[in-house]
Amino acid sequence: MTAVVDAVAAGAIGDRVWLYSNYHCNLACTYCLTESAPGVARRELGAERLLRAAEQAAGLGFGALGVTGGEPFLLAYLPETLARMADVLPVVALTNATYFSDERLERLSAFAGRPVSLQISLDAAEPDRNDLFRGPESFRRVVEAVPRIVARGIRVRIATTEPAALEPGAMERLCALHRELGVPDEDHVVRPVVRRGRASTNHLGVPVGMAELPPELTITAEGAFWSPFAATVHGRRLDTDLLVTRTTDPLRIPAEAMIRLSEGRPAGDDATLNIR
Amino acid sequence: MARVELIGADQAPLLARPFYAGGDPGVIAAAMAQVPELMEVALPFVGRTLGPTAVDARTKELVILHVSALLGCRYCVAAHTVVAIDTGLDRDEVRALRCEAPLVDVFADERERAVLAWAAAVAATGPVGDDVAAAVRRWCTDAEVVELTLLVTATMLLNRFCTALDLPSAPDTLARLAREGFAAGGSPP
Repeated sequence: MTAVVDAVAAGAIGDRVWLYSNYHCNLACTYCLTESAPGVARRELGAERLLRAAEQAAGLGFGALGVTGGEPFLLAYLPETLARMADVLPVVALTNATYFSDERLERLSAFAGRPVSLQISLDAAEPDRNDLFRGPESFRRVVEAVPRIVARGIRVRIATTEPAALEPGAMERLCALHRELGVPDEDHVVRPVVRRGRASTNHLGVPVGMAELPPELTITAEGAFWSPFAATVHGRRLDTDLLVTRTTDPLRIPAEAMIRLSEGRPAGDDATLNIR
Repeated sequence: MARVELIGADQAPLLARPFYAGGDPGVIAAAMAQVPELMEVALPFVGRTLGPTAVDARTKELVILHVSALLGCRYCVAAHTVVAIDTGLDRDEVRALRCEAPLVDVFADERERAVLAWAAAVAATGPVGDDVAAAVRRWCTDAEVVELTLLVTATMLLNRFCTALDLPSAPDTLARLAREGFAAGGSPP
């Protein structure tokens, strides 16, 4: 048993390592944690680092990987890289799914037979409500892409952030939609907007800190963070309040720091926020 | 204006938070907080080395202030001029340690001369001479020599860190220096 295995078994840290593949995005959502947008600095980890992190995570005893951004699929190498990472550990990749042309969908065939799932953002069953937060045409592109991804045998999770879903009847309509698109209820996650990044600028969501966020080691180009909700950008400046270490390679260094920090962590109510 | 962002309490990284628990940790800590995993070992190291230890406080301030002056560290000379005065060194001693007067005119004690010569030799480039080593070993135990050597090197670490990052002196330090009649200082001799 390694220290990570023990810590995960004890619930001190999560068993998934998150990797910020990049920070740029084709959208500029109103509540984006990282102020991602088309023009922002890419801050890529790179394919080689993603693979090495996956191997190191497995070696330390972590059980799963998550890839987020930015929009990861803006990186041309991502499908093949995710497939190779999934040969090491199961991977969930977060995407806005607005960028899947036929050619890009075809490249997802690299996931065949591998434990790769895509978590796709969808906030409302109505285009105008969804696109209010996520930008024009994003609803249409998502509802077009999801069934085509599902049809390729790739597991899809729908992730909904709360502002639109809180309106009367909105959740029921959204659930009907995701079922229609081929995503079952167990693959629909709803979570609050976290008041960091652009959500903070726009006064949206709930404030969170160390106590509210489950500890999940998160690697970015600029360091290791406490949670994927921690590696945020506000006013074009990287937040460091939930930075763990600048060292990310070898992964052992931030992992050990996470374990030490989790041991001194006061009891929190992170589970009630469903920030996962 | 420092050359890097000095991290305030609201952005203190997780491993750095204990250093902010007592309020403003000072600019050295605020800069080191950029790399919290190094801060959590470097800051206690320099704190312990420069703080109270087996070597008496007066001897340590002789070393810290003089090495800081030799290395031309504006921040450390300013800060440790105040510490030296508060430790009980007189103005002539402080001026000599700041390289503003000859050491030999002020320090008559042979042990203190040997310690200052050792500190200067350690802080210089190249080998440390046998004569300087023999002099300091005449007055100091091996443990004291090792500690003084660590003190010089820790001071040099801070000198170069503060100088390279152009860390600003605290306003109350500058005000105190003005009241005491000392310039902010820091130019190499």
